[in-house]
Amino acid sequence: MAAPAIEVDGARFAYGANEVVKGVSFQVAPGEVLGFLGPNGAGKSTTIRMLTGQLKPSAGEVRVLGRDVHKERSQVMGRVGVSFEEKNLYPMMTAEENLRFFARLYGVAHPDAHIRSLLDQVGLAARGRDRVAGYSKGMRQRLMIARALVHDPDVLLLDEPTDGLDPVSAEAVRDVIRARVAAGNAVLLTTHDMHEADELSHRVAFLNAGTVHALDTPENLKLAHGQRLVKVRVRDGEGIREESVPLDDAQAGARIQALVDGGDVVTIHTAEATLEDVFLGMTGRGLA
Amino acid sequence: MTTRRTREFFARGAPTHAPSRAGIVAAIVRKDLTTFGRDRLWMILTPFALLIFVGIYWLMPPRVDETLVVGVHPPAMAAALKLAMGVAQDDPALTVVPFADVEAMAAAVADADAVPEGLERPLVGISLPLDLLLRARLGQPATATVYVGINVPDEVRGVMATAVREVAATAAGAPLPVALTSDDVIVLGTDRTGEQIAARERMRPLMAFVVLLTESLALASLVSVEVSQRTASALLATPARTVDVLVAKGLVGTLLAFSQALILLVATRAFGPTWPVLLVAVLLGAMMMAGIGMLTGAAGHDFIGTLFYGMGFLLVLMVPAIGVLFPGSAAAWVQVIPSYGLVEAMVGSSVYGLGFADLAGPLLAAAGWVVVVFMLGWWALGRKLVQT
Repeated sequence: MAAPAIEVDGARFAYGANEVVKGVSFQVAPGEVLGFLGPNGAGKSTTIRMLTGQLKPSAGEVRVLGRDVHKERSQVMGRVGVSFEEKNLYPMMTAEENLRFFARLYGVAHPDAHIRSLLDQVGLAARGRDRVAGYSKGMRQRLMIARALVHDPDVLLLDEPTDGLDPVSAEAVRDVIRARVAAGNAVLLTTHDMHEADELSHRVAFLNAGTVHALDTPENLKLAHGQRLVKVRVRDGEGIREESVPLDDAQAGARIQALVDGGDVVTIHTAEATLEDVFLGMTGRGLA
Repeated sequence: MTTRRTREFFARGAPTHAPSRAGIVAAIVRKDLTTFGRDRLWMILTPFALLIFVGIYWLMPPRVDETLVVGVHPPAMAAALKLAMGVAQDDPALTVVPFADVEAMAAAVADADAVPEGLERPLVGISLPLDLLLRARLGQPATATVYVGINVPDEVRGVMATAVREVAATAAGAPLPVALTSDDVIVLGTDRTGEQIAARERMRPLMAFVVLLTESLALASLVSVEVSQRTASALLATPARTVDVLVAKGLVGTLLAFSQALILLVATRAFGPTWPVLLVAVLLGAMMMAGIGMLTGAAGHDFIGTLFYGMGFLLVLMVPAIGVLFPGSAAAWVQVIPSYGLVEAMVGSSVYGLGFADLAGPLLAAAGWVVVVFMLGWWALGRKLVQT
């Protein structure tokens, strides 16, 4: 197995007396997407700020590409692309100027062709010379992705990368992420969209109250913490009744057969647990 | 400083090379100047302020009118008045305008339009009785009237009253029993008779300070926008460090303030023979304003907050410059205000032509304050950036 691109080992951080990250540990390998899920205030942003070197963990280690982020911040950040949840772009500058500025900070040589290519990838080529102040929320979000990729990083920290995007634009951004993963990027993906996390993530970490409650592949988590059901809708007099049959139940086959033999079946469909169900089941609270 | 290890580390990434600290700072400075150049408020306010100040300077009289014009009735007393005031008959410092009519003289003092053609407008009118000399010799009391305009200062009114008494005493053959030296008055320091400092010269430090402070507000605005829009977070998630951002902001603030103040001082011909002193003073002032810009930018959550704190500094720092405008009005405590040394150096160089040796004290005091203010701004903004 390749050496992890991101390693967080027992990281802790407190704002004054309030400890918000309490010994978080996880790893992300090159070419892997780790979905980093949790409700607001769970410690996701603080963990990301430790990964960008803006916060120093009070205990534990945070390493990117084998280097201590805090001790070698400038070098490490040259290999990391970050897309924040807030659209923190320079509104008085054009998209091209925004990207050129960040390219200079990363030391990208002759960035113009690369910038045009990035704008094309995120569908902003025609608006590249417009000031960001005139951009819609979705356009700003796409520019945020382009900015995170301006220096061709090895590691991506993406905080709600499809927030505010219409389905077509969101899918375009997901395509960009898939392409980067295929090229070997390690991606830490924070999102409230469980469907997106399920679709993009190789593994998912559930963070709640500053600790990682579970870390596994979406399938394993759903299998371990959710229920596989068959939902059968049958006519019941004038109305329709739905019956859920757990597949893990030893009598499941007999029960389904009995419903079918009854002759009044309207529909049968399978239902598996969602990541949100898993999280709710584990923590007793939602992701909002 | 870029190390070999760093270069090797970055060499592994395809399009990047290790950015130097100077390159990062230069990129941030360039970005800030672009942003500043696109802010309509500052792009209107800055040239407008410069234009107004330069216009005011050149519209104001270039020198102080040291001539005192006094109207006298009756005309026969004109020579006696000059004699009484110790002024030679041909001395231009005192012009005596004889009036045959008291009402005409009073009207001329009160209203410039009432001055008879061909005569200068008197600042003061003195009406003496026609039989003054006779009464004086007989020891009888006589009544004289002094007419003054509303703008005549108290001290001039007092001098006129004294002059009238002296005229009477001289006429009575009893000159005042006071002997003055042959030079009349011993001037301590440079005798500026005929070279009084014009009001516009005294206003120049105040104008320069307002321009400097305006640019400190511009920097504060840039900083507060960077913090409130969280672009600072994006900056600090790159190889840029907090210290790079602080250096860049300090440079931008100093550059903006220094260049604007320089334009003002060049346009008002402030640079004399000791121009390097003035240049150093302006540079120190610009650095102080950069510190204040960082401080107020970090303190204010938005433009209004920044303006609030900025105006607080502006009002305090302007006090020494206002003191120059109204000589003698400043109390001793004004000397502890951080801008005092800067104003002293600016006035000393641009008005009196003093050099480094004469102005070492004020310049050193100013430099000390610059360090204090700049470090305060650095600390406040650094803290804010880390918290963003």
